[in-house]
Amino acid sequence: MSAPVSVNSFSANPTPGNNFYQFSYNVASGTNRLLVIQLTMSNLRSYTGCTYNGVAMTQLHTTNRGGLSQRMAFFYLIDPPTGNNTLRINFSGSQWNPISIHARNFTGSGGVGNEGRTGGQSTPNTQSLTVSDDSMIMATACSINAISTIQIPQGTNRSFVTHNTNRQVGTGAISTGQSAGAYNIRTTSTFGSVTNDRVEILGLSSSANGDSGDFFMILE
Amino acid sequence: MITIISKIELEGTDNLKYTDVGYTSEESVINQINEDYDLTLGKFLGENRTKLEIGEVSVSTFFATTDFVNEARATIEDASDLGLIQITDINQL
Repeated sequence: MSAPVSVNSFSANPTPGNNFYQFSYNVASGTNRLLVIQLTMSNLRSYTGCTYNGVAMTQLHTTNRGGLSQRMAFFYLIDPPTGNNTLRINFSGSQWNPISIHARNFTGSGGVGNEGRTGGQSTPNTQSLTVSDDSMIMATACSINAISTIQIPQGTNRSFVTHNTNRQVGTGAISTGQSAGAYNIRTTSTFGSVTNDRVEILGLSSSANGDSGDFFMILE
Repeated sequence: MITIISKIELEGTDNLKYTDVGYTSEESVINQINEDYDLTLGKFLGENRTKLEIGEVSVSTFFATTDFVNEARATIEDASDLGLIQITDINQL
């Protein structure tokens, strides 16, 4: 039916210096809302959860990238409260290394779909993700060296924010709505190895199926 | 993109507290704030990360001579609903 509408992206790279970091964030009104947050930080600490206006967000994954000494994560919340509220990230202890944060919200989304996570491989790191009709794809990359491109799909560079967490992070890259199918997502760094994490943001057509609802048969 | 300006101060005896104090799109304001941060708290954190992690150094050492530091590195598409004032001159802070 339609791709999600991305609203009000937020990016930051602070040193929390505490066992949490929080910021004010506005979720737009609308139907079929989705709030997501993409995180990378030193693996000396773990994520113990995220909340928005006190509501626990769902953890899609937290992944320890031991070779990079980083912990990457993705949390989301379906139909979050609207308006200006606090988004809070909790840690297992005080985090004195910088954290990469990217949040955005959507309207007209069917939620979070398929995802793929691939640790450091020699640049370019190209991985596939199968998505439903009208889905968008978000991707992030981490490397010892500068992130050069995030291509969604391969061949189409998407803008991203660069952060320094004592490693180099590219975050916030997102595609437009895609047709159903398998797509290659490519991340590149100036040198060496680079990670490739990708998540499907479902459109509305993706959530519809024929298992329930009302059906009418017209007999003439 | 709009840049949010955060005030960073000591919370309790050993933690940082961030409070958003305004927003700006003025490059000169952003650069002045971040240059000051890099030369002060940023430098302290960079030099002491490992000791801070294991509790050998406290961030209160830094704040013994400084009340607060600002940083301007968070960006957002739309700051209009955050209830923050627009900063066009660093002297407004």
